[in-house]
Amino acid sequence: MTTLIAARNLQKVYGDVIALAGIDLEITEGVTGLLGANGAGKSTAIKLFLGLIQPTAGTAEVLGVDAASTVEVRSRLGYMPEHDCLPGNVSAAEFLTHMAELSGLPPNHARSRAADTLRHVGLFEERYRPMGGYSTGMKQRVKLAQTLVHDPALVLLDEPTAGLDPGGREEMLTLIKRTGDEFGISLMLSSHLMGDIERTCESIVVLDEGRVVEMGPVTSFTEETEAIAVEVDENREELIAALKERGVEPLVDGSSIIVEGVIGDQYDLIRDALVAANAPLRRMAPRRHELTEIFERDVE
Amino acid sequence: MTTPRAGQPGRSGEVFDIGYQNYEGPREGRRRARRAVYKEGIRIALGIGRGGRAKIMPWAFIIAVAIPALVLALIAGTVDRLTGGLGDEVVDLPSHGDYYGIASVIFLIFAASVGPELLCPDRRDRVINLYLVRPITGTDYILARWAAFLTIMTLVAWLPQLVLLAGLAFGAENPGTYLQDNWADIPRFLASGFTLAVYVTGIALVVASFTTRRAYAAVFIIGIFVISLPFAEGLSGDIGGTVGEYLSLLNFGQIPLLMNDIIFNEKNLATENTLATQLPKLTQIAWYAFMTVGPFLLMWRRYWKITP
Repeated sequence: MTTLIAARNLQKVYGDVIALAGIDLEITEGVTGLLGANGAGKSTAIKLFLGLIQPTAGTAEVLGVDAASTVEVRSRLGYMPEHDCLPGNVSAAEFLTHMAELSGLPPNHARSRAADTLRHVGLFEERYRPMGGYSTGMKQRVKLAQTLVHDPALVLLDEPTAGLDPGGREEMLTLIKRTGDEFGISLMLSSHLMGDIERTCESIVVLDEGRVVEMGPVTSFTEETEAIAVEVDENREELIAALKERGVEPLVDGSSIIVEGVIGDQYDLIRDALVAANAPLRRMAPRRHELTEIFERDVE
Repeated sequence: MTTPRAGQPGRSGEVFDIGYQNYEGPREGRRRARRAVYKEGIRIALGIGRGGRAKIMPWAFIIAVAIPALVLALIAGTVDRLTGGLGDEVVDLPSHGDYYGIASVIFLIFAASVGPELLCPDRRDRVINLYLVRPITGTDYILARWAAFLTIMTLVAWLPQLVLLAGLAFGAENPGTYLQDNWADIPRFLASGFTLAVYVTGIALVVASFTTRRAYAAVFIIGIFVISLPFAEGLSGDIGGTVGEYLSLLNFGQIPLLMNDIIFNEKNLATENTLATQLPKLTQIAWYAFMTVGPFLLMWRRYWKITP
């Protein structure tokens, strides 16, 4: 796997505030989540990776180049800021063409890439309308499109679902997943929403107070546990009582009944309890950890 | 899906969704990015690629700047024909040297109205953040924008002089002879127009670099010129002498006209009573340089370390 970002003892201090306290990390191809609460150091890390600010100490190598030493590397990077950043009186086609040229593409190539990219994000039909009349979801898609128009090797997304309604959020996450899976473009997604990271990312870096507290594949954080989650349509209380009669102490987590330490013939025990309680089974599956639990554990 | 083509039963076409394509073409990096900022600056200044309303202001001013030249050219031609080639002796017609004295107010309003459009919306809409994450620096951005507006201002300054030249030449009995006799006016008005453009570009953009609101910038720029005129001229007239001559330099609207006088080696209609013209030419040139380089450096300072 090619290393896209390599931070070594990367530190950034603003006066008395330590934004990043000497982090070491390597980001490889694929979709990576940069997770952390507000003030964890995510935005500072992104600015350092883009070479927009100088580190107090250490280095940030992006695509094999020291990000602080040259602006040329940004020709192969895309960045989507969290906040609004689109001019209202310009069409998406004009805007994307200009953004492609700004990334170094000649005008004729920029024009055709702009049209193609708008098609990929589902805005082809709307491309000649001034962006001032776009919905929040459409604007967010233009923001994503401007990161892709020059076919970058790596795209950095800062809180890409901020301000979106549930439908818009769903669309954006699907688009991000497609960008990683189908377009073959690597992404780094900064977010404080664990659901977004869990849905889209293959690996994760958890930052807290300027430090890396966890790093690795998302699957290692969401692996199966030795617990079974059972959901029934009715007779929930009867099932709990039936399990207790058989010497099992179940936990209740929302709509699920969790039976821990399940091994071997305990599956038969759950089956017998379901029959005894006359509880119609909706779902029974090994329970997985959730990123929320890991994050909460690390920041405590 | 296979679809037979109408009229050609033997031929068929297939439609494929070729999906996302990687870009394999040339990448021209920072050089292309600077040119893109420059080109976009030109387009913004002229309202190209924007709605109809964005075009009204610049083109109205361009026409307004050219109209006095057109009128002067028509009058000169008519008078010359009516007097049988004795126009100069019958009527004291304004010359190329006088033109900026007559029309400089329109240039200043043009710069105040259009100049801020090149900088303010980028910061107000935060589009600047998308520029700065591409292969350019804040310095590249501001230099390219400055060069774009200077290009527009220079062309707008030259346009009416060329109209006037054409009018005077074709109004004369023999255009060839007229151009032969007056060829020296051409480099003079080109130089004078350029000094005017450099000055107003710097003032307009430095003010625009301090606000995100185009209207505030426009009002402030016009205010500088309007207030400095009675202040400097009134005060310098009352005090008089050398101090009055130096105080007269504070009439910011007349600074490029002092250069115009030096280039044409004659006073124009607007500087006839200006005390600053009594100062040594070197002092006037130094003041012009200060008022041009100063705003430029201030504007550059605002952008050279700008980060999203």
